[in-house]
Amino acid sequence: MASNPDKVRDYLFRLAAVVVGLIALAFVPAFIDPYSLRIVTGALMWAGLACAWNIVGGYAGYISFGHSAFFGIGAYTTAILMQSGIGMPFLATLVPSVIVAMIVAVIIGGPTMRLRGAYFAIATWAFSEMLIQLATVLDVTGGTGGLSVPAYLNEFFFYYTMLAAAAASFLGVWYLIEYTRFGFRLKALRDHEPAAEAMGIRTNLVKVQAFALSAAITALFGSVFAYWTTFIDPQSVLGPDITDQMVVMVLLGGLGTIWGPALGAVVLWTTNRYIWSTFGDTVVYLPILGLIIAMVVLFLPNGLISLFVGRRRGRELISRILRKF
Amino acid sequence: MSSPAIKTSSTNKSPLVLESVVKRFGGVTAVNGVSLEVAPGEVVGVIGPNGSGKSTLFSLAAGGQPTDGGRVWLDGVDVTGQPTWRIARSGIGRTFQIPSLFDNMSVRENLLAAAVEGDWKGAPGRAEEVAEMLQITHVINNLASELSGGQQKLLEFGRVCMRDPKVILLDEVTAGVHPNIRIIILDAIRRLRETGITFLIIEHDMEMVREICDRLIVMNMGEIVAEGTFDEIASNVEVQSAYLGRQP
Repeated sequence: MASNPDKVRDYLFRLAAVVVGLIALAFVPAFIDPYSLRIVTGALMWAGLACAWNIVGGYAGYISFGHSAFFGIGAYTTAILMQSGIGMPFLATLVPSVIVAMIVAVIIGGPTMRLRGAYFAIATWAFSEMLIQLATVLDVTGGTGGLSVPAYLNEFFFYYTMLAAAAASFLGVWYLIEYTRFGFRLKALRDHEPAAEAMGIRTNLVKVQAFALSAAITALFGSVFAYWTTFIDPQSVLGPDITDQMVVMVLLGGLGTIWGPALGAVVLWTTNRYIWSTFGDTVVYLPILGLIIAMVVLFLPNGLISLFVGRRRGRELISRILRKF
Repeated sequence: MSSPAIKTSSTNKSPLVLESVVKRFGGVTAVNGVSLEVAPGEVVGVIGPNGSGKSTLFSLAAGGQPTDGGRVWLDGVDVTGQPTWRIARSGIGRTFQIPSLFDNMSVRENLLAAAVEGDWKGAPGRAEEVAEMLQITHVINNLASELSGGQQKLLEFGRVCMRDPKVILLDEVTAGVHPNIRIIILDAIRRLRETGITFLIIEHDMEMVREICDRLIVMNMGEIVAEGTFDEIASNVEVQSAYLGRQP
């Protein structure tokens, strides 16, 4: 939408920064070894997942503890459709993955997003736990034995696929949140739901739309992950640690900001991988992670992104979302 | 104590008509069979002691609370039992007793957010006009949470103006504000009523009520106890009884 000159200048500046960043990222594989490339690919995936969770947690103000369900739906849809009986090519599985996740999100989000705070968090957590149990007992998902996906051992392909998915997610969300009616509706209901309704905003519908969008992006990365790792089982794609990582990455980077989740994901994932490669396990990672989170919450309540774009609204935003509990 | 008989048009074509609306909270009847009708461009004040049911009456009109009885008509359309968002889209705008701003958005964004269900393309220009009318242009890029109490009242009023409603409900819009801000609000109400917008105003500031309202409705214990011009109300013994505890 048209806006004042300052806003247009700001928009163009940000767009130029994004283009330069994307060009730089496109050349990354030429300068790093395959192991590092795998880490960067993982960072892109987690950045996209954090971006997806941030739509519901940061912009709608509803803390979801069940987002691993949509990651798993995406992963399983791709894995099932690529099995020898069906044999769909990977790229063709992306659309059904996203559509299935959106349909499930609408069905689940319709009733659960009328709940507030902790009740919503518990409902989403229970839903993801239910899916783990389903995936464990169903034949189509391979049960506890999981599913293998035809291997495609090309790290460059997965790097560029993750980059494209992450870039599309961030740019799409950025545009939707900052420049469309949907974004204004979403931020309005987060800040004051009764006032948003008093202005004609159909808040229940907007919340479900946000949930479905968030689920679609999460499922997209689940699909790519399944093809990338070539094997999935209930814990690897539906486990609660997937949601936990998304939540922590967003809080670390900056809740309710466009680029904060990306920053949080990159910092957390590279720290995780560095500790893993240095100490040989990720147990020591947990206390270090706890320390980092405590420091950020105490000194940078709006996350690491506030080091770059100001911190004035952090405490208020977090307290507003927590008040819903 | 029963409400005085209020004439409602047989077709209910007035901008706002309440017919015998009732609201109970447990054993307490907050609004007890209140009826009123507001004409186009009319400014009606609703006064009464704390707890008399004024804000609840607003919530019933705007859909914030479901009614336990009676009907609400907006511009000839029965909106009883409709969700708040649908009633808002029917042409009613309201402010709250405590300003309910979008604290993490700027003043400009607050104004734009009010237009998401209306003329979105024209919203930026309209936001500038509204900010100018309410003299908040100098803080238009500030976060809403950074505004003073008076500026917050102005912004909330501005958000309602952004939607071009047919009826505006103002709940103590000048309470606790600087006299200059009170003047700005009064001027804005006068300008808007000239365009045909109807106002229902809850107010404790009797000077403002006297200046701006065509008619007053006095509530006590959930019922209308008197209705008339400011002078008629000022000399009404039942009103004195409600406010001062004098026996009529």
